Order: sequence, then C-alpha cells, then structure tokens
Amino acid sequence: MNTLRIRDLTLGFKGWSGTVEVLHGISLHIGRGERVALVGESGSGKSVTARIVLGLLQSLRSTRLSGLVEFEGRDLSKLSERERHALRGTKMSMIFQDPTSSLNPVYPILTQFHEVLRRADPAINLTGARARAEKALADVSITDPSRALDSYPFQLSGGMNQRVMIAMALANDPSLLIADEPGTALDVTVQAQTLRLMREQVERHGTSVLFISHNLGVVREFADRVYVIYKGRIAEQGPTAALFEDPRHPYTRALLDAVPRITGDGIPEIEDASDAYFAPTEVHEGYGEPEGAA
Amino acid sequence: MPPVLRLLAKRLGTSLIVLIGVSLLIFAIARVIPGDPARIALGPNATAEAIAALRERLHLDDPFVLQYGYFLADLARGDLGISLYTNRPVTRDIADYLPATLELVIVSGIMMVALGLPLGVLSARYRGSWIDHVVRMVTLLGVSAPSFVWAVILMLVFAFYLPLFPIAGRISDSYTISSVTGFLLVDTLIAGDVKAFGNAAWHIVLPAFALALSGIAQAARLTRSNMVETYERPYIEMAKSYGFPEKRIAWRYAFKPSLIPSMTIIGLDFAAMLGNAFLVEAVFAWPGLSRYGVAVILRKDLNAIVGTVLIISAMFLIVNVIVDLLIAFINPRIRYSQRAS
Repeated sequence: MNTLRIRDLTLGFKGWSGTVEVLHGISLHIGRGERVALVGESGSGKSVTARIVLGLLQSLRSTRLSGLVEFEGRDLSKLSERERHALRGTKMSMIFQDPTSSLNPVYPILTQFHEVLRRADPAINLTGARARAEKALADVSITDPSRALDSYPFQLSGGMNQRVMIAMALANDPSLLIADEPGTALDVTVQAQTLRLMREQVERHGTSVLFISHNLGVVREFADRVYVIYKGRIAEQGPTAALFEDPRHPYTRALLDAVPRITGDGIPEIEDASDAYFAPTEVHEGYGEPEGAA
Repeated sequence: MPPVLRLLAKRLGTSLIVLIGVSLLIFAIARVIPGDPARIALGPNATAEAIAALRERLHLDDPFVLQYGYFLADLARGDLGISLYTNRPVTRDIADYLPATLELVIVSGIMMVALGLPLGVLSARYRGSWIDHVVRMVTLLGVSAPSFVWAVILMLVFAFYLPLFPIAGRISDSYTISSVTGFLLVDTLIAGDVKAFGNAAWHIVLPAFALALSGIAQAARLTRSNMVETYERPYIEMAKSYGFPEKRIAWRYAFKPSLIPSMTIIGLDFAAMLGNAFLVEAVFAWPGLSRYGVAVILRKDLNAIVGTVLIISAMFLIVNVIVDLLIAFINPRIRYSQRAS
C-alpha cells in the first residue's frame, strides 16, 4: 500500500471574479519509505498540494476540490474534519521553509515540543516530554539538548532551529513527512548539513517524504523519484537519476538550464513562458501511476 | 542581578529624571502665566500690604532659581506647600482627592483589559463573521466619541430614563465609611460592610465604563488587527499543520505574541485616563483629583498646581514602568536583551 496516492486532483479557489484554477488534475504516489520530490517554480501548485494532503485547505469556504487523495489507503475526502485533524501532527507532519519564524517566538522550545508530543500522547507531562525531546534533539546532533530546550527560538541559530524542526517533525513517528522548501532561508552550508541530517533521520524512521522544492541540486541529492510540476500540471515524472540525465519535457529542460553554473557562464537566459511547457506529461518507463486499486 | 530587576532599576532611574524635568517645567510655567497668585487668593478688597506680605511668604519676589530651590527643599521633606484655594496643605488635598480618581481609573483599566482584549480575540478568531462585524461596529463607535459624550449618554440612558444606576457620587449618603485607604471599594470591605461595598460598586459602574469605553474599543481594535496579522505568521501555520487545537492556537499561539504591541497602547491609554477623568468626574460629580486640578488652575493656586501635576506625572510614569515590566514578562526578547546590555 502506498503511503500517499493522489489521482486527478484539481483545485480551484472561488473568488469575486469566478473560480481560479490552481491544479489541473495532478496524480502522484509515494510508496512506503520513499522520498519523492515535487519540483516547480513558485506558483506552480507545490505548496497547495502539500496543504491539501494535510487537510488544511478543505475547511476553507472558497476551496473547490475534486479528485482523490488517499493516505495509507484512506480517502481523505471521506474522512470527517475531526478524523483529518487527528492525522495531523501524528501520522503526518511538516517542515517549513524558515525554521526560525516557524517556531513561536514567545515560548521556549520545550513548550512547543511538549505540544507536539501531546498530539500523539495526550497524557504526557512536562517531565516526560523533556526526556523524549532531549533524546530527539540528541538524534539530530544537538550537543546540549537540555540547554536548547530551555532556549527561545531567537536564541538559537537558523541551523539549530532547523534541527529542532526536524526533530519535532519526526518525534511522533509519522508515516509521511512533508518538507516544504526546507531550509531555503538558511545559507547553503547549513542547508546541506541539515538536509543530510534529515535524510539520515527519515531513513532510520522509515518515513515517506514529500519533498517540495525549486532547488534542483538539493532534489537530486535527496529524492528517489521526481515529479516536475508546471502551472498545476505534472510535466514529467521519473526516477531522479534518469530524469536528470535525460530530461524529456521542454519545461524540465528549461528548469535544468535555469540553474546558474559555478563555472561562470553568466546568468542563463530562459523563456518566461512557452506553449511547449504545456506539452503532455512525460513519464519515464515503469514510473507511471499505479493502476487499479482505486 | 536578574534581568527583570535590572530593567526595573533602569526604568525607575529614568522615571526619576523625567519627574525632575516635569517639576522644573511645571514650576516655570505656573509662574510665567499672567496674574498675581497673591492678589487672586486674597480677593479684590485686599490691601497692598497684605498682598506684599503674602508674596513675601510665598517667596514670589525671589529669583526663579531660588524659588525652585525652596520648592525642592520642601519637596524633600514631603511638603508641597499650602493651597491658597483650600488653605490646607496640598499633600492633604491630594491624599483626599487622589484615591477617588485612582479608584475610578483602576476600575476603568480593569474593564479595558477584561472587555477589550477578549472582544479583540473573538473578532480576530471569527474574522469575517457576524461576531467580527458587530465588534468592529461597536468599537468604531467607542473610539469615535470622547468619554464625556459617553458619560452624558450613559447617564441619560441608564441613570435617568432607565434608573438602573445612581446618577452621581461615589456612595449613597446613608453609609458612613471610615476612610483607611480612601478607596471606597477597599474601605467598605475593611469595614466588613458588604452592602456598602455593593453600593460603592454600583456607583462606580457608569463613570468607569464611560471613561473606559474608548480604551476598550481601542484595545479591541488593536488586538484584532495584531492577531489577524499574527495569524498570517509561519508559526501559526506550523501550529495548524501539527493539529494543535484551534482554541489553543487562538489563545496561546496567536494571542500572546499579539499582546505585546497591544500592551503598550493599553498602558498609554490607562495613563491618559488620569487626565481624561476630569470630564467624567465633572459629569458624575465624582470628587476626584482631576476636578481639583482644574479648580486650582483657574485660581492660579501655584502650590496646588505643581503638586497635582507632579502626582499625575508620577502616576503616569509608574503605570509606564508596570507596562514595561509586563511586556518584558511576555516578550522573552526584551527580557533577555537586558542581560546582554
């Protein structure tokens, strides 16, 4: 059974001047323990997809959704708001772009960790939370977990906060971790360190990951499979190595060309938009969506 | 020294400097405005000798610096001089009138926090709903009319047309309460007279509410807009994505950070009420310091003017110190920055 299966998902937001279509029928799946990247430019629909999986958009009145989102074999649209809420923070969790601003500035780390742990174990007290949090922070190579727990987010570096976020995200052993542009706000060396750490941790926990990014370098190092998304449509999908070696879709090629080289060939020129970007989805052999079992 | 104590010491130090500046300023202004205090005090039929004698006694013919020196020396002994208006020591007058004003302002301040903040939180949490619209309408009314207008309206509606509340005064004449603190709400409890306490509380509701209304509205509007902004912050999205309960998100994760800017304004509003209290005191015949202050200014009663202004400034500064401490208590960044400096 796949951890996550999305089929023909469309999303629109109803506004004053009619409905704005954001997703035009995307399909993807994440197997158990698999790391899957969703790559695209800003506004392509990556982040809203993550929020639909978390069930955060369903309660908005302006949301128009269709298609199937299945988490561990359960159709999310058939779950009540309460049941969807029960999954958040326990079975699925999320890591955000900027760790420092994602932590509440007026509470020490321990208080926030306690709140996270309480999602899975409502009876846990502060002492119990402290013990578990210290262990979780030690796992992400924080040298003095006790001191970190008593600190406020502004007293820790961005890299430390990112480690705290990773530890929090995995504290309740979720089956799906959604990482929305993790560490984009950090500088590159710290980003690399924390990504390596995240990778070690998800491998150890056997967590499936939906990795959302626009950074192709990071994706190449982190993901097993890649979906390239452009304006709410999947442009290309396949295993990471094959996709990078043999990009078939015009948009994927443009995206790869857009990365500035360290050799100094100047800032690459790419077309803003092109009809070719709307070409049908390219699927690498054997990496299409699983059929049947709807 | 713990950071909070260090902050307290620092704020008290600057407050003292401000207070000295205020005393110098008000001392000078009171002497610059036209009119001879001695002549006003003694009336139109006084002889030139009597006036000269009083001027001598008040040191009015001495150079300004010397006058200020006398004043400071007296002040150090806790003596603010004799009021020419009441012929009593200014400190006695202030001791008589200040508790009534403070009682009114404190009850108003409590109303401001206890009504304003929850209204703002409700409005922000259910923004766009009818609750939000009602709160915003009512608070707009609250901020757009001054407190004396509300005092008159509330008095007309709830004391005259619907006689639910007493029309004026601090307590019904049938009660005699011996003054211990000067706060009737406290003194009645000290006397163990629950009925008198109820009566005093019943008297204070309308004036305090009239005085608090614009503050309540201000606090609610500010809390709402701060919270709406806080709701857009990544840490709220993080709290939602982890499924923290909505109610906890509103009260802990959004409210506490939003409280920091609100507190500053509430503190300023609270201190400003000491001055605004005058019109409300006038409408409700409340025997407070603001009314006394205006009476002595009209009489050019130098000692009483300086004393009143000094006391109100001191209250203002004390409130500000308290607000600073509260903010430091809520905002760890301020608390810890004191350690670094």
